[in-house]
Amino acid sequence: MNLIGFSTGAVAFGDFKRALALLANMPVNSVELSALRLPELNPLIEDLDNLDLRQFRYVSFHAPSRFTSEQEPGIVAALQRVAERGWPIILHPDAIIDRDCWKPLARSICFENMDKRKPIGRTCHDLEQLFDRFPDARLCLDVGHAHQVDRTMTEARLMAQQFHDRIMQIHVSEVNTRSEHVHISAALEFAFAKIVDLLPDNAPLIIESVVPETQLSKEFERARRMFTDNSRWALATD
Amino acid sequence: MAAAASHAIDALSTKLGKRWESIDASIERAVAEQAKIASILYATALVPSDVSFVVFGSLARREWTIGSDVDWSLMIDGQADPGHLRIAQTISSHLMEAKLQSPGPTQTFGSLAFSHDIIHQIGGDADTNRNTTQRILLLLESWPIGNADAYDRVVKAVLNRYLDNDISFLSHSGQQYKVPRFLLNDIVRYWRTMCVDYANKFRERRGEKWAIRNAKLRLSRKLIFAAGLLTCFSCYLKPPMGDANLFDLPNHIEPLLAHIRTYVRMTPLEILADAAFAFAKPETAALLFDSYDRFLAMINDGEKRKQLSDMKAKEAQSSPLFREVRDISANFQKGLTHLFFDDHPKLTELTREYGVF
Repeated sequence: MNLIGFSTGAVAFGDFKRALALLANMPVNSVELSALRLPELNPLIEDLDNLDLRQFRYVSFHAPSRFTSEQEPGIVAALQRVAERGWPIILHPDAIIDRDCWKPLARSICFENMDKRKPIGRTCHDLEQLFDRFPDARLCLDVGHAHQVDRTMTEARLMAQQFHDRIMQIHVSEVNTRSEHVHISAALEFAFAKIVDLLPDNAPLIIESVVPETQLSKEFERARRMFTDNSRWALATD
Repeated sequence: MAAAASHAIDALSTKLGKRWESIDASIERAVAEQAKIASILYATALVPSDVSFVVFGSLARREWTIGSDVDWSLMIDGQADPGHLRIAQTISSHLMEAKLQSPGPTQTFGSLAFSHDIIHQIGGDADTNRNTTQRILLLLESWPIGNADAYDRVVKAVLNRYLDNDISFLSHSGQQYKVPRFLLNDIVRYWRTMCVDYANKFRERRGEKWAIRNAKLRLSRKLIFAAGLLTCFSCYLKPPMGDANLFDLPNHIEPLLAHIRTYVRMTPLEILADAAFAFAKPETAALLFDSYDRFLAMINDGEKRKQLSDMKAKEAQSSPLFREVRDISANFQKGLTHLFFDDHPKLTELTREYGVF
């Protein structure tokens, strides 16, 4: 695991420029440009050519998570400009209204497994059905979501086993019972230790924890340690 | 006055023109210990977001003395997670490495506390001794270190249970809160349970550590009971909404709940100081705090503490040290009696009305 970075939405809410400026001072080589909220989409797309992304070896783009059927075609059209760059497009499966509309992006779509609030995309079985409909799509394995849905990490192990070859990137943060992305604690480290052996070595790690700017470096270290040193939880069995 | 001393104790100290050096010092030490634990928890990031690390006992009361234990619990208000036990064990190891003692043999603390049991099991067969202890001590002598979200949610929910299930804590006129009797009864029950358990422990443990247990029962345990009574009485004596018509409020529980929560965030000594400032004669207040200061000085003396820990019941009769314990506790009791029964007519009225029957 040598690709690691942050989601711009976690680093600076609604301000990708500020997020990139903060990341410029950190030893990160990956980034997810976030347009999770619809109003963030067009400003980010319009600015893509102006962003200095030279420090990053891996870039992905998070699509909006909520929109209407009227807005859907426009969003897909805008995301074409992302797909043309070869960047994976992270998408919440429950956001899709018209499946056919997304066909032009089929090879760029990277579905994220969902938290417990969402009606679909939470379990291995849910994802199976999804990939039946989108056979070229890949997976963004959100470890925090998987841990929130199933504290035993059984579902996460099943996902990692069954969709190993589809895993494009990994989201890391702790997700509390209110579905907020918060800092990594021992609970997530412990959970992560149960699946780390099943994860592709080259899958980039994208940190989504919402922490104060002063704690970004510490959060980066915690996330890095989860992959590189699991000795703390080496005997972690239930 | 020590830098860390509380506002209530500080105010009483100024009013009486007295200083209680052992009380001040124990507060200073407790604050330092709490900071030490906070830095361990921060550095290790061991506590998940739906969990609070909560201390009880002398550390929560800010009465830290030589030989004090760190009584702690992980308050879990979220999904059950098989990893929680492992996390508790890891925290325990870190605390031991930092030379902070491990929990006592009853295992009420130093482990896991689940919000559902604490909130839902009030009374009835499922309300075990351990559950009652965790719940009442949560209200009377607990302190969260680090993220307090789970702790605050549980405290609020427990208080809501007591108030929501108490149908008559508003006066007939709607002008005033009465004493929340459900909460009061549970606090009284806990105090009586402690006294009965004291006798049971004496039998089970063949008198081991009898004298130190006896001293604690006479002073620190009695203090938290007094603080619990004063918390309940404060709902009437220091009404949170003044002259407002409480029946007109959209949620008439809310101001009272907020009021009691401010007491939960005070230590028992602070609550006693607050009441002594308002309702006690100066000589009563002095009697209470002078005696408690002597008690803390005594148990912070390593030699005396060891003597008390090793002393059997039959040895106590002839021990000068235990005579000192008796003298201190008799003064403390005398102070409490004056405060609750003699010094202020309203407090006397409440004690007569609610204190026994």
